[in-house]
Amino acid sequence: MRHPARFGIAALTLALTAVGCSSSGSGSASDDKAGGGRETTVTSCGRKLSFDGPPERTVALDQSSTEVLLELGLEDRMAGTSNLKTKIAPEYRTAYAKVDVLSPKILTGEQLRAATPDFTIGGFTDYFTKDRVGTREELADLGLPSFVSAVDCPKQNTAGSGTGKKTKSPFELLFQDYTDLGRIFGAEKRAAKLVKDQRATLATAAKTADKVKDEPTVVWLYSVYGDTPYVAGRSAIPSEMSRTVGAKNAFDDIDEDWPTVTWEQIAERDPDFLVIGDLSERGKPGDSAADKLKAIRANPVMSKLAAVEKKRFIEIPGTEMDPSVRTVNALPRLTSGMKDLGYVR
Amino acid sequence: MSASPDTTRATHTAAAAVRDAAVADLLHPSARGGAPATGTVPEVPEAPGVSEVPGVPGADGRDAPHPSRRLSTGGLYLLTGLVLLLSLVASVRIGTTDVSYADVVRTAGFHLGLDVEPLPRLVDSLIWELRVPRVLMAALVGASLAVCGAALQAITRNALADPYLLGISSGASTGAVTVVVLGVGSASLGVTGGAFVGATVSFALLMLLLRKGGLDSVRVVLTGVVVSQLFTALTSLVLMASGDAEAIRAITQWLLGSMAPARWDTTAVTAVVTTVGLLVLWLSSAALDGFSFGADTASSLGVDVRTTRWTLLVVTSLMTAVAVASVGAIGFVGLIVPHGVRFLVGPLHRLLLPLSALVGAVFLVWTDALARVAFAPQEVPVGVFTALLGVPLFLLVLRRRGEL
Repeated sequence: MRHPARFGIAALTLALTAVGCSSSGSGSASDDKAGGGRETTVTSCGRKLSFDGPPERTVALDQSSTEVLLELGLEDRMAGTSNLKTKIAPEYRTAYAKVDVLSPKILTGEQLRAATPDFTIGGFTDYFTKDRVGTREELADLGLPSFVSAVDCPKQNTAGSGTGKKTKSPFELLFQDYTDLGRIFGAEKRAAKLVKDQRATLATAAKTADKVKDEPTVVWLYSVYGDTPYVAGRSAIPSEMSRTVGAKNAFDDIDEDWPTVTWEQIAERDPDFLVIGDLSERGKPGDSAADKLKAIRANPVMSKLAAVEKKRFIEIPGTEMDPSVRTVNALPRLTSGMKDLGYVR
Repeated sequence: MSASPDTTRATHTAAAAVRDAAVADLLHPSARGGAPATGTVPEVPEAPGVSEVPGVPGADGRDAPHPSRRLSTGGLYLLTGLVLLLSLVASVRIGTTDVSYADVVRTAGFHLGLDVEPLPRLVDSLIWELRVPRVLMAALVGASLAVCGAALQAITRNALADPYLLGISSGASTGAVTVVVLGVGSASLGVTGGAFVGATVSFALLMLLLRKGGLDSVRVVLTGVVVSQLFTALTSLVLMASGDAEAIRAITQWLLGSMAPARWDTTAVTAVVTTVGLLVLWLSSAALDGFSFGADTASSLGVDVRTTRWTLLVVTSLMTAVAVASVGAIGFVGLIVPHGVRFLVGPLHRLLLPLSALVGAVFLVWTDALARVAFAPQEVPVGVFTALLGVPLFLLVLRRRGEL
């Protein structure tokens, strides 16, 4: 569903996505082939990265970074991967098998250096501290450029300029990552196609919004630790997804990604329906959607909620609730779930 | 554990003597046999009734000073120093990435200006910018914490005293989480700077609370506990108030005490502070000997009790603050190493302090090496291992001395 279009209109899409993109670009970015002597400059979360040519030995610091590289067909340019939270998505497994796993956990600074990479990419700036892989300054001094997903620093990736600055939606930030990586690796066409496909998925989901009546409220339950629920706050991507499909995230008043709340608070908001994160791939107790439903039903307050009594639940893989190349997959699940529950006319 | 104010030797009651004997038993194991090892220690109050106390062994000869103590002490230093040197060299090789001795020598040669072909830049950085300062940092922090522990045990006459008794580490933790979790000053200070500011603030508060009145040990200990609890609560508050799981995960490593952030700059600062601090404490050996028998004994030895206590508290706090700011609060070393070394060389600080430094250094160098490889390819914060490794070692010392 993500690959319905073909290369034809790629150039147009690239031009569209480049609008409002804060990354200052220079040099010739035209060819999909890994030509040498081609200079590219990309700004990633406040650091300017320069490349003489496409990187040959990339080290990915987490699963979302690994998957976006695999989606762009860059497995041959990877020196290694690390920090896997769940299983790699089935569509990437063949390519993933070609990549060295440097560590199943977060890389140490030593492991990163020992892999002799020429490029490193991570989803969070938090990886780049002295007790992890080293600061971005340190790595830059060693001639190792570090790319951080724009999703982690929305303030440095605003649309427009000057007083007209506006924060971009997390999806726009993801698209910016694809475009930037496409330029770095000389894989612009593939990146543009990815952006186009995902934009199409987004547009399809947005069409549902017109048919949704009365803006139903939703609570996104990501996980339950020791009977404390983690729900999506305003800055998490599910908040944006809710808006897109014409629903309203019930915890939009909390400006955090995944705040911990109490069952009472959820009951108080009395959401029209619940989205339950299924993390069964992670395999810890309470991770599966079934376990969470059990916890909800066992809770005296929650069990009396209208949404619970009438079984208004939608299950979505937890991995798609965090920003990654897989996130758009949650949208059709969400809209079809809402159709089943009768929220879509 | 009180300083028994106004109790002179002549008016010692039997009960006080029993209590003092119990303190001396922990802090001065070799003093129990009667005459101290080399004669410079003030005499233990020889009150009647000491030998009647059950559990306090009398002069059965087991703890009597060895005739060869003076000789063996020198040998012990030499041996421990040699072990430290070998440990440093050997442990440079150990880590989440294997490094050969040839590469280590080549890297060291290159950076010392010899005419050697350098390794690839990233591998060179692995050895020279991460591994070498890290191993040196482990040695320095181990030495610093062990010596601070020994000194504070004497100053507060508390066998349970460790460098974190005064709340310095709690203050440092609050500073670190403020930077990492709340993002306050993350650009200008960094974790290390934030932790040091936090440590300084907590120490300033301690001094403020102690400014009036005497510095008797109970007061110092209780005030330290209060400061420590306050900053621990603040740390928890910051961690809980911010729900960002990634940020919390990032700081947990630091809170447990990890050598990974060691670099040349922090190692250099720690080296200077540790060396100066060690020297100051070592020069105060006689005063520390006096303090461990109580303020009155110290005073009768001609020690200016208040001034010396202040000085020693400031020095140990500064040493602790620098160590904690660099690598987090590594537990256990500062508590147990001094006790272990006291069993070996007796309670005299002139001997106890340097040997504690050496043993603490060796201990932490190896513990960190273990922390690097035990769960490879993952690294575990060294603070997790200090107690795991230290407890059996300490029990071994106890056993060999026939105490267990």
